[in-house]
This record gives sequence, structure tokens and C-alpha cells, in this order.
Amino acid sequence: MKFDLSLFRTWRTVLIVLVVLVASGVALRPLEQPAWDVVRASQPALKLESIKGALGQGVTVGLLGGFRSIVADFFWLQTNVVWEKNDLPATQTYVHIVTAVDPRPLYFWLNGSRMIAYDMPNWRIQAAGGYDVVPPGVQRRFDEEQSKVAVEYLTEGLGYHPDEALLYIEIANVYLNRLKDSQTASEYYLKAARQPDAPFYAARIYAELLRKLGRNREAYDWLVKLYPTLPKGKDAPYTAVPEVVLERIRELETELAIPQDRTFQQ
Amino acid sequence: MSSATSSVSAAGKTGRVPFSFERLRLIAGNTFLEAVRQKLFNFLLLLAVAMVVSAQFFREFNFGSSELKFIADFGFGALVFFGSTLTIATTAQLFFSEIENRTALTLLAKPIWRAEFIFGKWLGVFAVVGVFCAVTIGLLVGLLFYRENAIMSLHPDAFEAGRIVDYAGIFWVGVLQWLKFGVLTAIVLLVASFSNTNLYTVVTGFFVLVICHLQYLARDAYGHMDNLLVKLPVMALSYIFPNFQLFNLADNIGQGDGIAGEVVVRVALYALVYIAAIGGLAVYSFRNREI
Repeated sequence: MKFDLSLFRTWRTVLIVLVVLVASGVALRPLEQPAWDVVRASQPALKLESIKGALGQGVTVGLLGGFRSIVADFFWLQTNVVWEKNDLPATQTYVHIVTAVDPRPLYFWLNGSRMIAYDMPNWRIQAAGGYDVVPPGVQRRFDEEQSKVAVEYLTEGLGYHPDEALLYIEIANVYLNRLKDSQTASEYYLKAARQPDAPFYAARIYAELLRKLGRNREAYDWLVKLYPTLPKGKDAPYTAVPEVVLERIRELETELAIPQDRTFQQ
Repeated sequence: MSSATSSVSAAGKTGRVPFSFERLRLIAGNTFLEAVRQKLFNFLLLLAVAMVVSAQFFREFNFGSSELKFIADFGFGALVFFGSTLTIATTAQLFFSEIENRTALTLLAKPIWRAEFIFGKWLGVFAVVGVFCAVTIGLLVGLLFYRENAIMSLHPDAFEAGRIVDYAGIFWVGVLQWLKFGVLTAIVLLVASFSNTNLYTVVTGFFVLVICHLQYLARDAYGHMDNLLVKLPVMALSYIFPNFQLFNLADNIGQGDGIAGEVVVRVALYALVYIAAIGGLAVYSFRNREI
């Protein structure tokens, strides 16, 4: 068998190209890594696993090419189209695709979770025959199942926005409004109130939930600690409402029969 | 042209001409002129310009982000998408037009280094893509400035701390994208140096572009792998291909302190080293090619 020299030359070229590329990659890693850490921190990873069903629709190049937020907007439009048709599987799929493509805007997480937790149980009840036909136990099960999906979805959102009070509040609202679970809702309102830039109402609702749970002493202690931190005066945001907090403190002092000399002093 | 002629005459005495930047410049200039005369360049430039300008008509379409962020995303999207297409298609077309028209034979029969040919081609395409980047970024900055002024007059309270668009950051993102296109040009030239057809080069170029954008997945993955037989190839993949996501600094604009100078320098150096390395490999591969 005759030895083909040109074949050897081709493989030698390929080998040299690969070796040089690997050597360049290894040599450049220390230069690249600090910059990559900075870039990576600002852009959430693209979760291809979640969007692989949609990749065939010509979005791959768009996603990689920099049209990430535009592609997410298009998918959000699509989400609304299927939502209007009460199409549960499609809506749930698109809601997840939108945040897989672009998990940065809170808008998608909040509105997506509301579709899952508040609209989908109604769709399921309607599909099963309506409120008059479906037994309350089954309705309750639908609520629980969809709420679980919504909470999981919002918890995933917290992975991208760990300090975002609005996500904690949204979880708390699901527990409070759909599952009537004031205990768990209060825990999430507390987490929300502890986040930077939390809305003032999160702390107030936490206290109200404590009162609802009969934990008046805790509610009183919380509000007494909260009141001095609230901005006051004419330049204060109108949402701070320190006068409302003070009113609640006085109500609780009455309910807890706190002696006059030990009441909260401003 | 005189220095090029003198180096050629020097070749007669020594048998080998020295590397000439003048010849490199001539090849680059010719490549640039050929590229800007192409319909593809004008078409893609027009598309990108239309896309950036039309961003303001889509501003109601921004669900999750502010209007200015949406316009910036739209503009960067146009830059990256059409810029990548232009880079791959133009490089392949200009390289193979020399081969198919036999002008490469005439050119390389003269005392011209193959490195001059390859890097001349690279420089010509890099200049064309530079014009594309400058026009797109210039338009984007103009549009953002126009819209920011309009919003400022409507909501002056929101701008008490000054302008919110980081124009310097946009400029640096444009420069880094241009350098990324430089790396992509070198990659396409490397593919073209051993490829036989224009189509193969373009298709491979697009595949490599996608792989380079997803390279970070491989580097993330091999750290969590236990099976050495799988881990080693994945690790090798992460070292073979450059990381194109590194150039995507658009998300850092307006976050924290904006784009740090050190990061820009690191990314720029990363691109320049890759351009030199991959360009060198293209020259090596092209030297082994029979035309």
C-alpha cells in the first residue's frame, strides 16, 4: 500500500491548528476570566433546556445575535394570544419560555405567575364543567396545584432577583389570596419587608397578618420598631403613611392592655 | 507603490522579498473597495440602519424594560446580527472571488507573501465592518439622544441626577463588537484557507459563530463532569473556540459603575491575541494549499 503524503500533510495541518487554538485558549484564560466574571454577573445564562422547543422557530440566531429582549417580547405577545384562548398548556409553556429567554424584567415573572395562580384554576374549573358542577374539594385541589406551580415559578425568579421584594410579595399574595394560608403569607411578607427598596406596605401587611393570626404582641413589637424608620414630613413619600402605623400601634396597645406609662412614645 | 516595487526588485538579488506593509495596505485597500461595491454590504447596511431607525416605532412594544433600554437592545441586536452576517459573507465572498477569478494566481505568482495576502484580506474586511459598526452605533447614539431629550422634556423629575444613557459605554460596546468581528473574520479566513467552496465556508462560519457564542456552556459543563472520557473533549472544546459572549457588554451599560476600563482592555487584548493567532493559522494553512 502506497503512503499518501498529502493526507499526512492535511492531518498535520489540522493537528497544528488544534494545538495552537488550545494553547491560545489556555494562555488567554487568565486574561479572560476576570472580564468574564464581570460580564457573566450582568447577564443571566441562556437556559437552552427550557427553550429548546422554541428554538426551531428561527429564534436561535436572534437569541445569540443579541435580540434576546426582543425575542422575549415576541414570546410574551404569543403568551397573551394563547392566554386569551384559555389554553392552559400553551400559556404555561410560553410563560416559562419568556423568562427562560430573558429573565431580567420583573414584569414577565409577576404577570406570568398571576396567569398561573389566578387564571388557570378558573380555566380548569370551567373545563371540568363550571363552578356549579365541580365540587369545592376539586376546586380547592386546582387552586393548590396551580398555586404550587406559581410559587415554584416565582422562586425560580428569585434565583435571578434575590433582593427583589416584589417577588416575595407575589409569593405571599398567592398563599394569602389563593391558598388562604396567612401563616406562610406572613413569612413571605416579612422577607419582602427585609429587602432593600421594599415597598412600605409590605411591613404594614406583615403586621396585619400577625394580628390576624392572633400574634398581637409580635405585631405590636414589629410596628414599634418600624415606626421610627418611616420617613416623615411633607417631603416623605405618601406611601409611607406613618400616621396609619401609629394608629395601629395605639389600637394594639388597647388590645394588649399596655399600661399608659409603657405605651409607645414618638 | 514605490516601496513595494523596490522590495520586489530586492527579491531579485536575495531570492526572497521581505514582508511589506505597503503591499499589505494595497491588498487591504483593494479588498475594502471591492467590499463596499458589493450589493450585500449596501443591503445589510441599509437593513441595519432601517432597523435602528425603526426602533422608535416599536417603543410601545417594550414590555419588560424601559423605552431607552429597548431602543439600545434593538440597536445592539441589529449591530450583532447584521454585523456577523456581513463579516462571514463578505470574507468568504472576497476570498473565493480571488480564487474563482484566478486573480489569486496572478497575485501570488508575484513576490507576495501569503501572510500579506491573508492579513490584507483581513484588514480590508475589518475596515468594511468598522464602517458598518460606526454607522450603526452613530445612528443608535443619535436616536437614543433624541429620545432621551424628548423624555427629559416630558419628565424632568426623572432626570434630576443627569442623563441616564451611558453614551461612552455604547461607544466601547461598539468597539468591542468590531473587534469580535475581527476575530470572526480571522476564523472565516482560516476556514476559507482549506475550504474548496464559498458555500462551505459561509455555512461553517455560521456554525462556528454559534459555537463561539455557546462556548461558555462547555466551560461551565466540564467542571461538573465526573466521567473523564466526556470531560476531556468538552474541556478541549472550551479551549479551542473563543468565547464570543465575552464581548456582549451591552448589559453592563447603566448597571453599577457601567463598563469598567479594565474589562474593556482585557476583552480587547483577548480579541487581538486571537486575531493574531487565528490569522497566523490561516496563513499557515493557506501556505499548504495548492491554488
